[in-house]
Amino acid sequence: MILLRLISWPYARKHVLRCLLTTAGIVLGVGVFVGMRTANKSVLAAFNQTIDRIAGAAQLQITAGDAGFDEDVLDKIRELPEVRAAAPVIEATVGTGQNNLLILGVDMLGDRSIRNYDLEGTDEAGIGIDDPLVFLAQPDSLMVTKKFADERGLAVNSKLPMRTMQGDQVFTVRGIMKPGGLASAFGGDLAIMDIYAAQKMFGRGRKFDRIDIALEEGTPLENATAKLQALLGSGFQVEPPSSRGQQFESTSRMYALASNITSVFALFIGMFIIYNTFAIAVTERRAEIGILRALGATRGQIRTLFLAESAIAGLAGTCVGVLFGIAMARAMSGYIGGMLTEIYGVAQSPGDLTLDPWLIGTAVAMGLVTSLVAAVIPARSASRVDPVKALQKGGFQSLSEGENRARRRWAIVFGTASVAAFAFNRLWIMTYVGYVLAILAAVLLSPALSFWLSRALRPLLAGLRPVEGALAADSLIQAPRRTSGTIAALMLSLALVISLGGLARSSYDSLAEWMRIALNPDFFVTTAETLSSRSFVFPASLGDGLRAIDGVAEVQPVRSVRVMVKNAPIMVIAIDVSKVAKRVHLPPVEGDSDAMYRLAAEEKGVVVSANFARLHDAHMGEVLEIPAPDGILRLPIVGVVDDFSDQQGTLLINRGLFIRYWHDDSVNVFRIYIAPGADAAQVRQRILQAFGGQQRLFVLTNREVRDFITRLTDQWFGLTNVQTAVAVLVAILGIVNALTVSITDRRRELGVLQAVGGLRNQIRHTIWMEAIAIGIIGVTLGLALGAVQLFYSIEIARRDLVGISIGYAYPFQTALILIPVILGSALLAALGPAESAVRGSLIEALEYE
Amino acid sequence: MSKFVSLVTLALAPALSALGQDPRQIILEVQKRQHSDSQRYEGTLEVTSQGNQVATKRWVYQRIGSFGNSKAILRFTAPAEVKGVGLLIVNHPDRASDQWMWRPAIGRDQRIALQDRSTRFFGTDFSFEDLEERDVDQYNYKLLADDGAMWKLESRPRKSSQYEYSYFWVKKDNYTFVKIEAYNKKGLVRTIDYKNYEQIKGIWTARLTEVYDVTRKSRTVLKYEKLEYNLPMKDDDFTLQALRRDL
Amino acid sequence: MILLRGVSKTFEGKRKVTALDGIDLSIGKGEMASLVGPSGSGKSTMLNLIGGLDRPTQGEVELDGQPLSKLSDDELTRVRRDKIGFIFQFFNLLPTLSCLENVSLPLHLRGWPRKKVEERARELLDMVKLGARVEHLPDELSGGERQRVAIARALSVYPPILLADEPTGNLDTHTGAEILKLMHDLHDRLGATVLVVTHDKTVAESCPRTIQLRDGRVFADTRREEVRR
Repeated sequence: MILLRLISWPYARKHVLRCLLTTAGIVLGVGVFVGMRTANKSVLAAFNQTIDRIAGAAQLQITAGDAGFDEDVLDKIRELPEVRAAAPVIEATVGTGQNNLLILGVDMLGDRSIRNYDLEGTDEAGIGIDDPLVFLAQPDSLMVTKKFADERGLAVNSKLPMRTMQGDQVFTVRGIMKPGGLASAFGGDLAIMDIYAAQKMFGRGRKFDRIDIALEEGTPLENATAKLQALLGSGFQVEPPSSRGQQFESTSRMYALASNITSVFALFIGMFIIYNTFAIAVTERRAEIGILRALGATRGQIRTLFLAESAIAGLAGTCVGVLFGIAMARAMSGYIGGMLTEIYGVAQSPGDLTLDPWLIGTAVAMGLVTSLVAAVIPARSASRVDPVKALQKGGFQSLSEGENRARRRWAIVFGTASVAAFAFNRLWIMTYVGYVLAILAAVLLSPALSFWLSRALRPLLAGLRPVEGALAADSLIQAPRRTSGTIAALMLSLALVISLGGLARSSYDSLAEWMRIALNPDFFVTTAETLSSRSFVFPASLGDGLRAIDGVAEVQPVRSVRVMVKNAPIMVIAIDVSKVAKRVHLPPVEGDSDAMYRLAAEEKGVVVSANFARLHDAHMGEVLEIPAPDGILRLPIVGVVDDFSDQQGTLLINRGLFIRYWHDDSVNVFRIYIAPGADAAQVRQRILQAFGGQQRLFVLTNREVRDFITRLTDQWFGLTNVQTAVAVLVAILGIVNALTVSITDRRRELGVLQAVGGLRNQIRHTIWMEAIAIGIIGVTLGLALGAVQLFYSIEIARRDLVGISIGYAYPFQTALILIPVILGSALLAALGPAESAVRGSLIEALEYE
Repeated sequence: MSKFVSLVTLALAPALSALGQDPRQIILEVQKRQHSDSQRYEGTLEVTSQGNQVATKRWVYQRIGSFGNSKAILRFTAPAEVKGVGLLIVNHPDRASDQWMWRPAIGRDQRIALQDRSTRFFGTDFSFEDLEERDVDQYNYKLLADDGAMWKLESRPRKSSQYEYSYFWVKKDNYTFVKIEAYNKKGLVRTIDYKNYEQIKGIWTARLTEVYDVTRKSRTVLKYEKLEYNLPMKDDDFTLQALRRDL
Repeated sequence: MILLRGVSKTFEGKRKVTALDGIDLSIGKGEMASLVGPSGSGKSTMLNLIGGLDRPTQGEVELDGQPLSKLSDDELTRVRRDKIGFIFQFFNLLPTLSCLENVSLPLHLRGWPRKKVEERARELLDMVKLGARVEHLPDELSGGERQRVAIARALSVYPPILLADEPTGNLDTHTGAEILKLMHDLHDRLGATVLVVTHDKTVAESCPRTIQLRDGRVFADTRREEVRR
């Protein structure tokens, strides 16, 4: 490897900027991969950690979806000899201004056999601290973490006001938990209160969310699980705490998949930039290679030399990428945590980053493999350099026609195969195969396409500025090797942007349509500022109160709980079907509109959302098993409708059924229709006046709810902005790289141009035009490939991500924005290289080589 | 608080031995001499935790019936935060007692589960289990030593308990407890000292009990005031309904 | 016409190199002179200074009485494009452009109308006897042909000064002679001032005047009545 030091190192030193730009692709690719995954993992890990810390010594947890169950379950459980301790829990989050606060309602009497409350020492007052009696005697008692207390400047006996289902209440801090252990759950934003106080605060009636169980020593988990399951019936879930993390994982799977696609894309793009640079380097270093060959270097040695260079570049890029990724993860994990909390209603607050050595290992391997693969073709052509020809001056090597033809042939093969795969796309794997083939075909075809496009552009550019235009176009036409990689990278980036944009646009369109149909009440009376928070519930009696308000025409109570159906956390929405059906007519995907609502209202069936049907392979007539505290509820699917209430899918059942099976008549949201002619603002005011004082209650207008949903969607697509930014950034880097190389490559040519009378501005313009030409070609190809990519994105989203079928709508607006952005970026990217081209010494330029 | 004394006494009561005196007989004699039909006192609890902070609570205690069949209500009177919180204990001769807690602020009574009885009794150094009466026959006793003034007895519970075994020291002249050490698998958990004995209505009664929690290095002193025996009391005052009535 | 007064050029680097050391020289209008000397004597440097590709460290270069030192880079370029034609040893043709386009290049740069450019370019290529190969790329031409294209390009605006740096250096003897002949013809026909840097004795002696450089100074300046063509 002495060659590396003697040959490669000086070259690298001479082209520091280019080396940096080359590795930038890898840096970004690896960075996005590590960043997104780490952020995701950290959120998951934080979630698991929270579960773990909160679970304490609990070996099993008993739940009934997230609906809760009657208190008497506890006594039944405690009678089992296998159960050493059973502690009831209510777990809910409340917004407290800054962060969400996770409130754990526990029974202080016995909870210490499950959880360990390590409290700060008592203060001067001496009383009331760490005193379970006071804690129990006073329902306003709250135990908070040291972190939370420090952030809010709270001490023992400090007051903390919160809005509860019984109106505004002031809570008293009666204990401060030392950091670590339980106190570090939920990022430390945790408060403990008495479970009976929590029942009142959240309006839960005499219900628990969960029972945590510690077993007698030596009791096998399976036995205990089986016994508990038998005791409680299959409406309950008896699971170790860790399985809650798995549920969460399944809900965030969609997000993880999306981020994977982006990272792979970024690396793919990075690969083209590396390929590009190495291809140029080989051309540029032909003389050097020739000398080496003349001096006795074998082809293998030359090939190895280039591969080694690429490996080193890849490794360096990977290392920087990993660091960059970690920085990115730090910035993003909070955002993702917040988003998941809001979208899925799963409380989360990530603390530290979780660095997975496997993940880093994978990233390093990906970076290395990418850079090696990228260098294979250039290394091969380097090894094939003819020493005699190479040593002749002034020669010029262009992409051989044979190579080009071979690529075109492969492109046609892949393209045909891709279309063929489309024919069999009922198999999900064929969709992905078709997708990959289509991208490969596009990539292979891109040199030929860019060649044709450059030729087509030549007269245009020459017409604009005869010399500069012609020169710029010729530079592209004659040196496809120099730019084909860049153009491919640009094309892929833009295709990604287009598909994401298209996906977003189509989603917004579908969502807007659904909101128009389904969310047509005038008001929504909720327990929280957001619809997704289900911590608090209303008593059913509030419905009568609301009905009595002057100007209210109709009140529809809605109860939604997440329940495990087909091994996924599915949203069960209980409504008065007959009432709702009169106001809302969701278009049926399967089944007959009238029949499905009639059967559901008669409690003879369940209407499922289209995404549930697709993601979980459910069909009309299939009998679903919905676990409820009162046993398994078995209902046939009587209809499939487009419903966007939940990303995992929704089941609509009649409210009466829910009340019977769940022993729960509480309500999450009241849908309110006002009487014709009534003044909306006044009705709202009357509702607030009547109930706002006594309990936690929000009246959201139709507009507010729609805005909230749109905002959630914005947040979701906000992540795609990162992807878009990365794509555009990579593209710009590619252009800068290509131009820098192009200028080095053409220094002599540019020198001659100046020598025969070219003004500096003319040189600049040439380079600018070249950059814009690259931009135009990239944009053209990218927008075209984007159409294909969008098609596959929608397919994948429909099949495997959200299950929602969204129409194909090409995002012309995005495309229109992209054109000036990319051309502008291209121009911007050209400024530096152009200046360096006119700055250099003419003499040197002329003697260059 | 003879209740506590007796409870703890019973819980840890000694048994058969070859050393002349039958240890079970000693315990039975202790019980006999402390017998009363009812009891009432006002207790003051002082919990001195490791950091030398002292928390004081007061309660009123009433008991009806005697060993094995007694019922008791304990109601806190101070500090203000805990005033009104009550505990009803219904002892059974053949099994663990039933215990309920009443919390006036949320208006709920709550059964205290068996599994929770090894936990500390409201921040004191007693456990709920220490509040129970237990039958002599639920334990095996052994006489370990006899120094002339006192017997040292060992008791091992036959049923599940947080304790593995306990040592008792009983004064020979008046059959009163002097000290108890309670052990679990890991070693010494609690010590209880009985002090300031006085005769009230012919019953030798300790006016002060001191419990030391070895692991927490925390100490609880219980002082008995206005202690009376054999007052007239009604069974109706020892029910859940009665518990729910505020003082 | 070409006037050098006390021109020095030093190159700063790890070692200071004096390429030209106080040169005084004047070359009259329409003269054809050769510039000879061993490697490193400063021939190319002098040519570059006269051609305005580089600036002297000291002294002044005047073309037609116009001192170059005061001109900006762009003004210098303008002087170059109006007055000077360059012929390089390695031709420096743009490989991507056809002969016609290569020759047209300087004219386009001057903003000539397309039609006039083409007329002139064809005329020039005819002049160097390449009228039949206008559409060929440089790669498809022989060395001599390429140099002729380069000469045609240098002549594109019929500049009053023609600077040639080893025009035959990269050619075989026969082709070199052809090129030399072409240059003499053009000199005779167009009356331009020609300065040829060369190693080749034949080339040097074909010029009426030979300036010999050694170590950055003028070592000899010979004029001959009889020239060997």
